[in-house]
Amino acid sequence: MTVQVRIPTIFRKFTNNEAVLEVDPGTVAAILEQIDARHPGFKQQILTDAGDLHRFVNVYVNDEDARYLDKLETNVGEGDTVSLLPSVAGGAPRR
Amino acid sequence: MTTGALRLSRELIDEMVEHCFAERPNEACGLLASNNERVVKVFRMTNASGSPVRYSLDAAEQLAVYKKLDREDWELGGIFHSHTHTEAYPSPTDVREAHEDVPYVIVSLADESPDIRAFRITKENWRDEDGLVEEIPVVIEPLDE
Repeated sequence: MTVQVRIPTIFRKFTNNEAVLEVDPGTVAAILEQIDARHPGFKQQILTDAGDLHRFVNVYVNDEDARYLDKLETNVGEGDTVSLLPSVAGGAPRR
Repeated sequence: MTTGALRLSRELIDEMVEHCFAERPNEACGLLASNNERVVKVFRMTNASGSPVRYSLDAAEQLAVYKKLDREDWELGGIFHSHTHTEAYPSPTDVREAHEDVPYVIVSLADESPDIRAFRITKENWRDEDGLVEEIPVVIEPLDE
């Protein structure tokens, strides 16, 4: 197991409170499958019903946004770190 | 997870407010780091939306802050943003886009002096569009150092 996945606080209730998971290299999709196998239901929190990355989640492979790489097919190799980031946004009502 | 007050120093409040004024006419946004349930640092972030009515964090900046929190053994203590013309209360957009279980601080620049209020936005599932908005007190206390 040589890939670290950083789990933000809001997702830790789905990973038995683990903040960092170690998984095998593979695509982002495969990594989510690995986590889901250990923590059933985790994948559903990150993906839409159609199986795409939910717009409220950003996935970084090291310092690159997976959306600008190959999205769920982005390859994650040995020693890489995957970070899951919930989006932070908002706005005032228009006057 | 405590639903207690947001505790921070006058200096940190001033820093938040300064960032909010500096970003006008756009909304300002930022993150707060906490240690032992007190805010210890303000991170002034870029509003990636660049809008007077919307804010969003740049995810790369957000990741850099989260790494800093890990290195310092701090926690995410809050998320702040400004409302340039409306009250310091979570808008429907604020609620819809709130995913974190941390205080949301809103700085309103609508009046002559800024109004700063803090809230918890609680959802059954983090992706829910609706949430329960509860105001929490903002307690100003001096820094230890």
